[in-house]
Amino acid sequence: MDILPILSTLRRHKLTAWLLILEIALTCAIVCNAVFLIGQRLERMDMPSGVAEHELLQIQVADMVAPANPYARVAEDMAVLRQVPGVISVASSNQVPFGSSSSNSNIRLDPAQVRWTLSATTYFGENLPKTLGTRLVSGRDLESSDFVDVDVAMKALGTGDAKHLPSVILITQTLAERLWPGQNPLGHIIYLAPTVGLRVVGVLDSLVRPNAYDISKAQYTTIVPLRMGANKDQSYLIRCRPEDRAHVLDAALAALKKVDPQRVVTTRRSFDEVRRKFFQDDRAMAGMLVGVIAALLIVTALGIVGLASFWVAQRRRTIGVRRALGATRRNILNYFQTENFLLATIGIALGMALAYAINLFLMLHYELPRLPAIYFPVGAIALWLIGQLAVLGPALRAAAVPPVVATRSV
Amino acid sequence: MLKMTHLSKVYRTEVVETYALRDFNIDVKEGEFVAVTGPSGSGKTTFLTIAGLLETFSGGEYHLDGIEVSNLNDNARSKIRNEKIGFIFQAFNLIPDLNVFDNIEVPLRYRGMKAAERKQRIMDSLERVGLASRAKHYPAELSGGQQQRVAIARALAGSPRLLLADEPTGNLDTQMARGVMELLEDIHREGATIVMVTHDPELAARAQRNVHIIDGQVVELSEDPRFHTVHAAAGDAHA
Repeated sequence: MDILPILSTLRRHKLTAWLLILEIALTCAIVCNAVFLIGQRLERMDMPSGVAEHELLQIQVADMVAPANPYARVAEDMAVLRQVPGVISVASSNQVPFGSSSSNSNIRLDPAQVRWTLSATTYFGENLPKTLGTRLVSGRDLESSDFVDVDVAMKALGTGDAKHLPSVILITQTLAERLWPGQNPLGHIIYLAPTVGLRVVGVLDSLVRPNAYDISKAQYTTIVPLRMGANKDQSYLIRCRPEDRAHVLDAALAALKKVDPQRVVTTRRSFDEVRRKFFQDDRAMAGMLVGVIAALLIVTALGIVGLASFWVAQRRRTIGVRRALGATRRNILNYFQTENFLLATIGIALGMALAYAINLFLMLHYELPRLPAIYFPVGAIALWLIGQLAVLGPALRAAAVPPVVATRSV
Repeated sequence: MLKMTHLSKVYRTEVVETYALRDFNIDVKEGEFVAVTGPSGSGKTTFLTIAGLLETFSGGEYHLDGIEVSNLNDNARSKIRNEKIGFIFQAFNLIPDLNVFDNIEVPLRYRGMKAAERKQRIMDSLERVGLASRAKHYPAELSGGQQQRVAIARALAGSPRLLLADEPTGNLDTQMARGVMELLEDIHREGATIVMVTHDPELAARAQRNVHIIDGQVVELSEDPRFHTVHAAAGDAHA
């Protein structure tokens, strides 16, 4: 197709051409960044937890009257839960993956270190790796002899009594690689406080932290052998087959109520619900951005349809003249498609520069990563396609203008 | 060159059929300069649009340069328009957004001609109509006469076998009309076949042959009383 005469014609319609170019540029810039943001959100929502998600239930109970022996109460609760038909495993836990509420520790590799190396989440409770379904890739699981009552450990921490503190720890392999790149982490010491050194005895394949807001640090996770006593909001994790979850949950609640009819159930949910709730903002944001993109693309497409229709109506006579001079219907169709392609190309070029500028702004003010280059060609192709689809209707109407129009006075 | 036999053109609506051309017969030989005259609504322009393959016809036969055109598809008709026919319209029909050069280039581009040949043909045809210096001007920057000359240059650039002119001087003043007519006569003298539709008996008289259309049919001039009126008036004036 001959581009120069089309450009020559567009030069005579600068204002309308530039309005459409700017519309395409803005759409390109916003769509590139919005698609990138959606990608980020989807990537986050797809974050692996490292646990057997479809097999897990969480129950939290609050005892109205504090039990005489909180550790015995937890042990009793876990015992009755294990007896529930369908239950595979039970754990007490201070927190759940994607549970938002998180217990974190500042990790040092040297007790004399002034500033900690990083902050990692600390799970504690009995029977956690097995119940969560997280896989041990090296070393061993925690043993009952490793466990210390959490109250005892807290007192020992205050007095510096190392004998009554846990001495071992499990960590994820992501954390191990971050702390000792390329080394075997087993046997290394982690300091949660200058006086609390814990030896790494096992490495977990994957276990996400409850507050996994930063995907790069989501696997900075440890499990410390602290035994939990019943507290105001005691959390139990129950593992069962996915198809048993509903009736296991009902039976488990009944069993816990039987232990203490006064207690209040504050949380009862499947892990699927935990994940769904944790990512609901991401889902809402992605949905909103999809809406924004759709609206922008529709408005841009309508703009193209509107302008192309206007130009077809305005040029009806000259289209007839072109047909009289030998243009085929295909020539006329190509003319409008090429014209749209040129306008879209200029708009896309401007839009890419604008997309880069918007991304720089988002990087500076919202700590967003750099927009990957792949989004530019993807955005360009999307807008070219939308442009061609939008112009097709008016272009077909133009192609249908009969040559005899050239002889009719307007 | 152009032969229509028993040709008809009917415009149909739900309630009425209107014959624009009925049992229309004409034979234009190669190299002829034929003027087609007739009153308004007689079918002159319909004849021209059918002759130029701008419109289809309802019945009969039409041979153009030896080709029976009734069964040609749209693409084939476009190709013939582009390669064999040059149009000169009353309203010039230049494309206002393109300059003179680009206007003349339009049909040549549709022919797929190389840029160098296009340029050569455009400049030759502009020289031919005396507007070589106006190649970069836009139509709005030219007088009516100049615009019609550009339209003639556009028609000539493709070296058509047949020139169809629809009231080529209808929008021009006398002086400009005379210039355009002289140009057409020159082109004819160089061998072109020209069919010109006109209302103007004086212009028609300058053609080699006159064809008169009444109610969609070619008639002998002696059968049309209006012809006698015009000629009587002309005779009175001379007396």
